Amino acid sequence: MGVSIMAQTYEIKGNVADSNGMPLPGVTIVVKGTKNGATTDFDGNFVIANVQKGNSLVFSYVGYATKEVVVSSANSLTVVLAEDMQSLDEVVVVGYGTQKKSVVTGAISSVKAEDLEGLPVERVEQALQGRVSGVVIAADAGQPGSSSTVRVRGITTIGTNDPLWVIDGVVVSSSTIGYLNQSDIQSIEVLKDAASLAIYGARAAAGVILVTTKKGKQGKINVGYSTFYGVSKASKKLSLLNASEYAAIMNEKSVADGGSVVFSDISSLGKGTDWQDVIFNDSAARSSHEFSLSGGNEVSTFYASFGISDQEGIVLSDISNFNRKSIRLNSTHKISDYVKVGQTLGYAHKRSMGITTNSEYGGPLSSAINLDPITPAVITDPVVANSSLYTSNAVMTDEDGNPYGISSYVGQEMSNPLAYQETVRGNYGWSDDVIGNVFVEITPMEGLVFKSAVSGTMAYWGSEGFVPEYYLQSSIVNSQNYLYSSRSKSFGWNLENTASYSKSIGVHDFSVLLGQGVYIDGISSGVGVTYYDLPVTTREEASFNFSVTDDQITGYSWTGTEHKVISLFSRLNYNYDEKYLFTGIIRRDGSSRFGDNNKFGFFPSFSAGWVTSKESFWPENDVVSKLKIRGGFGVTGNDAIGDFGYLALVGGGRNYTFGEDGTIYTGYSPNAPDNPDLKWEETSQTNIGFEARVLENFDVNFDYFIKKTSGILQDVEIPGYVGASGSPLGNVADMKNSGLEFEVSYNKSWGDLNFRASGNVSYLENEVTNLGEGKEFISGEAAFQSMGDVTRIQVGQSINAFYGYQTNGIFQNIDEINSYVSSTGTVIQPDAVPGDFKWVDNNGDGEITDDDRTFLGTPLPKYTFGLTLNLDYKGFDFMVFTQGVAGNKIFQGLRRLDVTNANHQTSVLQRWTGEGTSNDYPRLTNSDPNGNFGKFSDFYLEDGDFIRFKTIQLGYTLPSEIVQKIGASKLRLYVTGENLFTITNYSGYDPEIGGSVMGIDRGYYPQAQSFMMGLNVQF
Amino acid sequence: MKLKKYKLPVLAVAMLATIFSCSEDYLEVTPTGTFLTGNYYTNETEAFAGLVAAYDYLRKNSGTFENMITMMNAGSDDHYAGGGTSTDGAGIQSFSKYTLNSIEIPDSFWSDHFKGVYRANIMIQKLPDISMDESLKARYMAESKALRAYYYFNLVRLFENVPLLTEPVSTADMYNVVQASSEEVYAQIELDLLDAIDVLPSTVVSSEYGRITKGAAQAILGKVYLEQGKNTEAAAQFAEVNGTPGSTSQYGYKLLDNFDDLWDIDNKYNSESIFEVGHSDLALTGWSNSYSDTDEGNLVCTMVGPRGFVDLNTTDDIPEYSSGWSFNPILPELYNLLKDDPRFEATVLDLKTLSEEGKISYTPGYQDTGYFLNKFAPLTSEESTGAGDMWLNHRQNSYIIRLADTYLLEAEALGGTGTRAQALLDAVRARVGLASIPVSLTNILAERRLELAGEGQRWFDLRRNGTLATKLADRGFVAGKHEIFPIPYGELENTKLVQNPNY
Repeated sequence: MGVSIMAQTYEIKGNVADSNGMPLPGVTIVVKGTKNGATTDFDGNFVIANVQKGNSLVFSYVGYATKEVVVSSANSLTVVLAEDMQSLDEVVVVGYGTQKKSVVTGAISSVKAEDLEGLPVERVEQALQGRVSGVVIAADAGQPGSSSTVRVRGITTIGTNDPLWVIDGVVVSSSTIGYLNQSDIQSIEVLKDAASLAIYGARAAAGVILVTTKKGKQGKINVGYSTFYGVSKASKKLSLLNASEYAAIMNEKSVADGGSVVFSDISSLGKGTDWQDVIFNDSAARSSHEFSLSGGNEVSTFYASFGISDQEGIVLSDISNFNRKSIRLNSTHKISDYVKVGQTLGYAHKRSMGITTNSEYGGPLSSAINLDPITPAVITDPVVANSSLYTSNAVMTDEDGNPYGISSYVGQEMSNPLAYQETVRGNYGWSDDVIGNVFVEITPMEGLVFKSAVSGTMAYWGSEGFVPEYYLQSSIVNSQNYLYSSRSKSFGWNLENTASYSKSIGVHDFSVLLGQGVYIDGISSGVGVTYYDLPVTTREEASFNFSVTDDQITGYSWTGTEHKVISLFSRLNYNYDEKYLFTGIIRRDGSSRFGDNNKFGFFPSFSAGWVTSKESFWPENDVVSKLKIRGGFGVTGNDAIGDFGYLALVGGGRNYTFGEDGTIYTGYSPNAPDNPDLKWEETSQTNIGFEARVLENFDVNFDYFIKKTSGILQDVEIPGYVGASGSPLGNVADMKNSGLEFEVSYNKSWGDLNFRASGNVSYLENEVTNLGEGKEFISGEAAFQSMGDVTRIQVGQSINAFYGYQTNGIFQNIDEINSYVSSTGTVIQPDAVPGDFKWVDNNGDGEITDDDRTFLGTPLPKYTFGLTLNLDYKGFDFMVFTQGVAGNKIFQGLRRLDVTNANHQTSVLQRWTGEGTSNDYPRLTNSDPNGNFGKFSDFYLEDGDFIRFKTIQLGYTLPSEIVQKIGASKLRLYVTGENLFTITNYSGYDPEIGGSVMGIDRGYYPQAQSFMMGLNVQF
Repeated sequence: MKLKKYKLPVLAVAMLATIFSCSEDYLEVTPTGTFLTGNYYTNETEAFAGLVAAYDYLRKNSGTFENMITMMNAGSDDHYAGGGTSTDGAGIQSFSKYTLNSIEIPDSFWSDHFKGVYRANIMIQKLPDISMDESLKARYMAESKALRAYYYFNLVRLFENVPLLTEPVSTADMYNVVQASSEEVYAQIELDLLDAIDVLPSTVVSSEYGRITKGAAQAILGKVYLEQGKNTEAAAQFAEVNGTPGSTSQYGYKLLDNFDDLWDIDNKYNSESIFEVGHSDLALTGWSNSYSDTDEGNLVCTMVGPRGFVDLNTTDDIPEYSSGWSFNPILPELYNLLKDDPRFEATVLDLKTLSEEGKISYTPGYQDTGYFLNKFAPLTSEESTGAGDMWLNHRQNSYIIRLADTYLLEAEALGGTGTRAQALLDAVRARVGLASIPVSLTNILAERRLELAGEGQRWFDLRRNGTLATKLADRGFVAGKHEIFPIPYGELENTKLVQNPNY
């Protein structure tokens, strides 16, 4: 005690909170090297006496990184504990429960709320992109509100490959998932291997993504507000020909065919119109506000939030924008010591306007790329404006009454995007989604839990619009205005009852889960009506209250088909001293989509793990301090197929008219041949992996898997001579995916400087292994303009691999043509002229035919990767998030090659114009007799590799002394740049192109580059 | 609280029990809006609905973008493909330029006709077991056979080497089908038509106009014979259809007095019409169901109409033409042949002259000649005013066979000689006020060219007379190849079908 008298002692007061500013009750605090300690109270406050200057206080709390603070003065302390990302005691959601990460035997990747905090993403898929291994995510468009294509461990089947989304235990379709407000998400787990997936049985083959929303915590009421505001623009514009360059190229093409010069005075045309400048908005606004309120006591906890998000598209913002309002309420209530009830409820209202994207047939993007630069966007020359074209047709005009220019060079589906904008201005789609559940949990004795949950999803959606009479160009004309409205609704619910019992007897730890579920969705219907020829000219005047005659009204109505599943499932977990781990799952599912003979399917799995580092022989070392080896095998299924595939049905609408008055009679005929033998498609998967902590600071996770899908359910392509109106379903194909996944994270602190990095890399190989007897390939998944199919599904190849002609340079002179001969000495391309592509005669028959086409690469990335770096120092935090893919090809189909007058990218200026001028861009002609442009070849394929700096964020958290003065517990300001750079060789707008066959660029809506500033505050 | 504790588990157990008790039944979902094939085709109503579906593909003649009339016109020496640009409809453009290949050939010329065959086959298979009035059943059977024959006639004419399917092909045999020889196909066509002719009624009530009659089946059979060079048999069938040249035949056929009345869109199923395709504006077709089985409009009208027609002087008597897509521009050679013919006005819309005179303006399309096909070019006054898209709801019917056609075919079958042949040719000319000229095969063919201009007949006339290669040499026609279409590429994938020679 004598020592203590000499030193000065303090009574230290303080508060402990998590990184969200939520107070942490029950945090243990000890003065290092002593038994002197305290715990925080309900509001995170603590008092600890007898502390000397220079002592260290150690703060520890389950699930959080232990933190040491050196006492330097008597001032009160505010301590923020970070959740421990490295902790192997972390808990993961596994489906119908949670499991300690240290005893998990499957391949599950997680993303936690902290990883997403302050990220300005509108959709949950974007939150996941690049953050977990084994998952490829590509946005379907950069249009606000667009969904993304999500593929877990490759392409599992030929049809629907969307993973099963389960939000707080409720199955939600991938099209509805956009209702989620990102900041309501507590965690996302991606179940990847069969051992984890089998608990979801018949619907799990393409992966399962579990989303858990935030719940309230015991403690004081926490109020949060987050907002950001920013502007977006296109991160890239194409380099297109200007008017003079365009005219010169058109002349060259015409003259090459023996035609005349089209444009005589090229230089007078100047630069002309860059239609991209016409459609792109360089300051599209983007904003978001989110309020949350949470808290609780011993009896009840709650979490409530309200969010509103507004986003303008970067292309024609007036007709491409998105607004979402969402509300959430989650709560739990302890009714007694044995009974707990709770609920989750999410509601979102979305309103969107959108343009056609990634289509070569029309849409403002395709028009902007293909329209000639000569036509002015707006006609200001009164002579032109008074010509009959503009005076005698219902042309669109700008605010000043000037008509929008109509191209006389480029027609077909292309039209002036500004004029088009006027025809759809104000038309929108909307949706209301309500998704929630109610559960009761009864714990009659320790370890035994009965849980019953009823969940429901309800969706309403529709569209409203008016289309005036218009004349965009001679083949895009609407001669009658019309007003339309449609409403649809869909309802689904499920009931799940589970009983679980867990018990530890000495070193034996086991838990058993038994459950049953019943699911129904697709209780749906819709109606739509259109009134034609209203006595008005503007949207404001248009109304369904006008009286129109019966022949001016069209309407439709539909009723959906219910989809039902019933299930029984069980899981056994056993571990011996957390050293030897075992999990077994069996699920039996029945689906209404299968015929009587195969209505039910069994989906078993087992997996085991060995925590090697717990063995006594494992030396204590810093190189590998923890090691778990795990492996498993299981089978899952897929019932995401059409309804009644097993039945032969007779359908109507095969109509014909008889009689003078044109009376229409309804005809019926069989739809498609039936397939009573329709079976479950099965995906079996073997997974082995390990988790380790290496060199103290690295956490490593590695997986290798082989996934085999057999009996893939698919529309059987039937020859036209069969004469059926539709295709039957069949178990037609087998496919194999195999891959490697690697995740690593690194945590290190140097004083106040904390550094965290997490990265992942995945490698994937896909191979079609069988397409049924005698069937060599399937085509028709991706056709392009007049080229026909550009991909094929063929045995031995990756799914939907590009299939076309192979080029081998350009003939520079006539000698090269004459010396390009087959083995028998015949000239292979006798009709070619210098400047034409030299096609590879792959089958060696001495001529170039369809049979010379070959596989040219795959749109499916071989590698996907992501890297997040976090750095924080005192109040500052800095984050860089990059992600990318490699090993894929993109079809660059931006130009309408069938429209000879369509504009070109400036790469055309590097064309072949004489010997030695180019060996990769052929000569220009309109007739294109060699098919240089008309044939699909590797000329159209580009490497799809990219690394994108997706997010860069710099934040500053104000010192708590200052924020406390305004009554807040935390206040953080940040600036963010999104999509700041993309490193790629791809020549289109954006190398990230989703869709059912990825990587086909027909005029993709590019993702926006955004600059934003934001604020998070907690009270 | 205590009570609740026990109530809830009881409830849960009750829920479990409820679900298990009905698990199998629970999964049964009944299709709505369709019928199970096994339960269908049981009564007269269902038989009629099946028959309507078999008739549906007669629209191939003039309905949808890929129709027989504009396609066959485009390949003939009377028209170009036209349209908006050189690639407006890759198939029709390539056919017109004789660069058609197995990828660009519109599949529907193959598959739509086979859909018609399939639906007729279903009827032929199902009818015997349907309980209904026997005489009506016999008529439905006859119509189904006649339809099958007609669809096969188009298939064998266009593709020559086609599979011959007289009943629906089973899933198991789907990929094992092989092509039949054209002789086998023609034999089946003849058989079907002869069966049908025995049963079909000579006339039908007005509400049934458009249904196949005995005369229609005989006219088709005549063409089928003639196509094979069976001239005697052909002439015999045509003679029954035609009767005495110029007067009303046994089935009531008679040339219209006024040629122009053939193209009055409300003059449907007139006395000259033998086999006619029905169109209607009552379907109110919009783009969402365009070209589908529920689209009942005549698209030839839309396709051949001029682009961007503007009447610059509204006081003159030039009618206002509806805006179309400028397909099938008429070539100067045909224009010159028709220039002084009484059928000129009805056949040719001469916008070249009218725009030169400053009376109208229009937007020239691809391969514009200024001459449009007036037989189908619609006026704004004829546009559908109902809901749906105007372009998709033209109600003008189209003739598959009309009496002037069978007159000239009979004359041709007779070898272009003799008094009857002369009388037949004279009747066609006299109707439009033209004097008699000596009958000969050359004169018959020349008369057909003018009389039937733009009706999709010319290309087949040239082929039947072996003059395709000479008439179309400048278009790139290759003899021994281009007389028939290539088989669509998709049909060769995974099947036993063999591509036509030289494709």
